[in-house]
Amino acid sequence: MNAERHEDLAALAALDLLTLAEQAEFTAALAQHPELANLASSLRSTAAEIAHIAPEAEPPADLKIRLLKTIALHASSTREPLDQAPRSSILPFPTWIGFATAACFACLAAYFAQAYFNEGALNSAFRDQQTLADLSLRSAKNQLAAERLITQRELVDAAKRASDSAALISTLESRLAETKQQLFSQGTLADYKIATLASLLGNSPQAVAVAVWNPANQEGVLTVHKLPALAADKDYQLWVVDPQYSIPVDGGVFKVDPTTGEGRLIFHPNRPVQTVAKFAVSLERKGGVPKAEGPMVLIGP
Amino acid sequence: MPLLLSSHLSGYISWTNQVHGLEPARVIPRMNTEQTADFSDARHAADARLLGLVAAGDSAALGELYDRFSRPLYATAVRILNDPGEAQDIVHDAFVSVWEKAASFETTRGTAFSWVLTLTRNRAIDRLRSRRRRHELLESSALSDLGLDENSSGPAADRAASTSDQATTLRAAVAALPADQQRALKLAFFSGLTQEEIAARLETPLGTIKARIRRGLLKLRDQLANRL
Repeated sequence: MNAERHEDLAALAALDLLTLAEQAEFTAALAQHPELANLASSLRSTAAEIAHIAPEAEPPADLKIRLLKTIALHASSTREPLDQAPRSSILPFPTWIGFATAACFACLAAYFAQAYFNEGALNSAFRDQQTLADLSLRSAKNQLAAERLITQRELVDAAKRASDSAALISTLESRLAETKQQLFSQGTLADYKIATLASLLGNSPQAVAVAVWNPANQEGVLTVHKLPALAADKDYQLWVVDPQYSIPVDGGVFKVDPTTGEGRLIFHPNRPVQTVAKFAVSLERKGGVPKAEGPMVLIGP
Repeated sequence: MPLLLSSHLSGYISWTNQVHGLEPARVIPRMNTEQTADFSDARHAADARLLGLVAAGDSAALGELYDRFSRPLYATAVRILNDPGEAQDIVHDAFVSVWEKAASFETTRGTAFSWVLTLTRNRAIDRLRSRRRRHELLESSALSDLGLDENSSGPAADRAASTSDQATTLRAAVAALPADQQRALKLAFFSGLTQEEIAARLETPLGTIKARIRRGLLKLRDQLANRL
């Protein structure tokens, strides 16, 4: 154990701050190092001087009188001279009367003292109950305040969720309106024209094509199957037959896969089409022609 | 301990001259270190001799001891309990204990004043702890509740405090300590808190609190030795 530890223990002992374990340690250290007692004594005396920094308070004058009276009573009851003559076992009559009176007085004093202490204990119990009730009330108030805070927070969250939902609904409605507008601008499915084109080729009777026409957008899709492979200087050309024009409207040229005979064309006629009477596909020279010249290979409906 | 003799000390010395035939002490306005140290030793020796007389059943000696010690003891009890009525009971009971146990005082374990102070302070702290337990104040009490706010022994308190030389010397010696050591010592002396409670109250590790108490007491001892 080092000197610093000894000083720690002596300082804590001087202020009566030692724990039980430290007290045992300090006792052992004192037994082992008698010089430690001097340090402990000087620190205890030093610590006692701290009392002088307390703000001055003058004890009342009657405190000393009360103390000396207590001491006088004490002295008479506990410090009787040892050489006092032995008392007679038979008390004279006047002495007996005095003792009887004192005994009665003592009984009465004991009774009133007990009543006083009972009353004090009762008051203390009431005070404790009141303290407990106050604590319960404070606890209940705190709980209510906490619940109110939680409820307020939940209300704020719910309002935020409702606001988010309203914004989402508004967005969806806006999108729905846009979609409706788009659908309206694109026309309804009933307005679409779907036509199957049959083969006019003797060597490829299984050739077939499907054309879907959206009049609102003036746009269509043609899908062909099993058409004969094209020569390098040839293209297939689509024609849209509209009664308002004297000749079919050019729908564009396309090629097919030489192995499968399949092809696809998204076409936009080069003139406005009002009514589709027929679709036709002809075999033309590469790049197409303004007016059909070659043989028709597909037609429909 | 102080440079100047306080009035109650000079009164005590004249009393001892008359009653117990001690060597006469001269009241001088200022003494050098050696003289004051001798005087301090003489004062402690006189206190110890009074306690010896009390142990022999001399109630007049107890009255004299009361005159010498009652003011700092009562002030300490008031400071701890913040209740003059309770402080009176504590001082009364402490002196009754002195009357009963004076024979057990040993000069090797400290001065007579430190012994009587310990009796008083322990009673006051017991009363304080009992009160705190009953009212569950320990957790919620602030330093000011304990009468231990930072300024309670500062300049404002000093104005109301004793102007005696002893108190002045002590206050100057304590004021010379670092603030954290002052705070730890005041809490340790007046609050009735345990080491752990002091550490918690100051939000400082326990080891640091112990070190502050040790360093503060050692420094205070040296300061007082230099000032005597």
